Amino acid sequence: MSTTFLPCGEYHQDYRKDHAWWQTRFIKGKMIALMLVLFFGIPYVADEYWLSVCNQVGYTILGALGVQLLIGFCGQITLGHAAFLAVGAYTSTLLTLEFPWPKLLLDLGLAYPLSIFVAAVVAGIWSVLFGLPSAKVKGFYLILTTMAAQFITVDFVITQYISQIGGRGQAFSLPPGTIKIGPWVIDSDVKIYYMMIVLVILLTAAVVNLLRSRVGRAWVAIRDNDISAEVMGINVVQYKLFAFFVAGFIGGVAGAFWISNLAAISPEHFPWFWSLWLVGVILIGGVGSVHGTIFGSIFMVVVMELLQMAVIPLASSYPKLLMDFLFIKEAAFGLAICAFMIFEPNGLAYRWWQTKNYFNLWPFSY
Amino acid sequence: MKAKALMVVFAIMVTAGMCSTASAAEVVVGALNDMTGATSDVGKDYALGIAEAFNYCNDNGGVNGKPIKLIQFDYGYRVPEALTKYKLFKRMGAVAIEGWGTGDTEALAPTVTADKMPYVSASYSGHLADPKKTPYNLFAATDYSSNARATITAWFDKRWPKHADFGKRKPRFACSYMFASPYASAPIKAIKDQATLLGFDIGPDQDVSLFAVDTKSQVLSLKDFKPDVVWHGNTTMSVSATMRDSYALGLGADHIINVWGFDENLPRLAEKAAEGAMAAVINGFYGESTPLMPTVVEYAKKFNPGVPQEKRLNRTIQGWSNVLALWEAMKRADKAGQLNGEGILKKGFETMRDFELGLGGAKLTYTETDHRISGAIPVYELKGGKFQLVQVTDLKGRWPDKWQSWLGW
Repeated sequence: MSTTFLPCGEYHQDYRKDHAWWQTRFIKGKMIALMLVLFFGIPYVADEYWLSVCNQVGYTILGALGVQLLIGFCGQITLGHAAFLAVGAYTSTLLTLEFPWPKLLLDLGLAYPLSIFVAAVVAGIWSVLFGLPSAKVKGFYLILTTMAAQFITVDFVITQYISQIGGRGQAFSLPPGTIKIGPWVIDSDVKIYYMMIVLVILLTAAVVNLLRSRVGRAWVAIRDNDISAEVMGINVVQYKLFAFFVAGFIGGVAGAFWISNLAAISPEHFPWFWSLWLVGVILIGGVGSVHGTIFGSIFMVVVMELLQMAVIPLASSYPKLLMDFLFIKEAAFGLAICAFMIFEPNGLAYRWWQTKNYFNLWPFSY
Repeated sequence: MKAKALMVVFAIMVTAGMCSTASAAEVVVGALNDMTGATSDVGKDYALGIAEAFNYCNDNGGVNGKPIKLIQFDYGYRVPEALTKYKLFKRMGAVAIEGWGTGDTEALAPTVTADKMPYVSASYSGHLADPKKTPYNLFAATDYSSNARATITAWFDKRWPKHADFGKRKPRFACSYMFASPYASAPIKAIKDQATLLGFDIGPDQDVSLFAVDTKSQVLSLKDFKPDVVWHGNTTMSVSATMRDSYALGLGADHIINVWGFDENLPRLAEKAAEGAMAAVINGFYGESTPLMPTVVEYAKKFNPGVPQEKRLNRTIQGWSNVLALWEAMKRADKAGQLNGEGILKKGFETMRDFELGLGGAKLTYTETDHRISGAIPVYELKGGKFQLVQVTDLKGRWPDKWQSWLGW
């Protein structure tokens, strides 16, 4: 059922309508307008820099979507999600660079798209391995086991073994032309942008649909009270592990997508700080809301860039401001989390919900 | 009300920032530095040197009368941050960039090639010295791979003959560095190739973090192999921790070090353990007697009076070297009427032959086929807390048949 109030005077008369994606014509119109903006407006208006910022937003959304699913919908706190992004990125890179693809697939430009899917599955399975402790532990103890995912995956397995494949050392070079989808070589920010938009839409739709299903309801039941969920007949361990798989799968897609934006990949691209950052994204966006993931990602990336833009005019008088910007950015990240926890614990998604309801219920929005 | 006023001010500043591009009269140069990340122990001083050197360039006429506008960012040694900053520099009309780490420089290499953006980095990775692959990546220093080859050769020439086991067995060699760091691992293949060439037994590598303060387990692993010499690939903080632990645990090996692990802080941090350490040196040390050093010191005092002189490092000089090289290239390109990326490379850098910076480093020669500035590399050692020249290893002269094949790795 929709979480937003319908406009005054509109009522659903059957469950099909109640569960419909786009519940009113107005919403359908809004979504079509949004698609037009995403597919035509932004690429037309934005320059290379702002497209790269959009791509960063997309990468953050894809990364945080899995974290949202685990923390926001299944109640499994994770602080090691960057590891699954790394697994996805490395699997896709290795498959693209090293796997002996049949010539036909290479000619059709299918090596990279297929590698994204395989990378997602591998990252999902890898995530399940680190989800296994969730059968026994939860809360603070689960945080520590998920942190272990970061150290074991990135610092040990990838750094010590995977990175050594090919002999160079640490960074896998991705020469121009490596990333190709069908006839298109992904070699510009606008092409990366289109790929990002498609992936974000597909995965967001998939997650929203999952959440509307029996699986999603089971996850929410586990989040709210796992003992009650078990009493109701939900196989708690199975659903928790499935949540880890899906979160890892999405993380794998995020990692595999991100290599299209890089020319070389090394373990440094996946620091533990990134896992923490993704948790910050959903805290600010709103825990337990898919919208929240998107709002949080936009806030964390775009607001930081705007903050930087605000600092630039001052740089001619205070040159050190630019050098100190990273301090400002990190302080802003910390402050934003504190401020949201105190003043808006439900995150930006709650504000969005309130705003929508205000208009939907107008003129009786009191 | 106050909140609304603040929002308006913020919006105006954002708009001003978004509209800020280069004016025709000035030359914009971007700089990416690490003041807070994994390599900030050496990055801070380098960043100060960059800013001071650009002030010097502007005081001396900029680019043939056009002032240089430096936009300098700390990116915290985070590769994704570097990628977005690069695009911001482009948006602001930068004609060249002073970069930092190996990870981001290598990640950006194909992009800067496609954009024809000269990228003068503090990463001296040998992978960036082949113009066929990375024409727009440059640095005013000898590359990590050549430095590593030169240093192990100097140890082999000067120390090994004095060893009690000389002539009885092969010397034993091992590497200690952060495997995950593209900077530290960049010359591994080259140094092992050189060790094989010289007839060393090569032991297992030890993974030591750039943040390491305790490396006893790695040193104990090294003890099993009993190396005669250990190469350290990290930066000064981490290298000094490993050397202290090696000293305390009686490893008994000599130490040879990559460029960014060998500076004035090493004897301060590692004390006795640093005695005898050897490294290739690409510039004079801070305050050393070189033609331009008084100017470097003067600008350091003038623009960063809050940083005590005794805390300044040779990293300042490395920053100056990269800036002065780019400055010269920009002036030459401007004279040729081509102050753009391609001009800076072709009419600037690649016209330099034995160009002297006056900072105690090798003279700069860049050709269309080779961006390694020199094949003769000075190797220094720490003796009684002072840096002393051991030998100049002439790689090009000694292995003329191999020198060309060593390009790019």
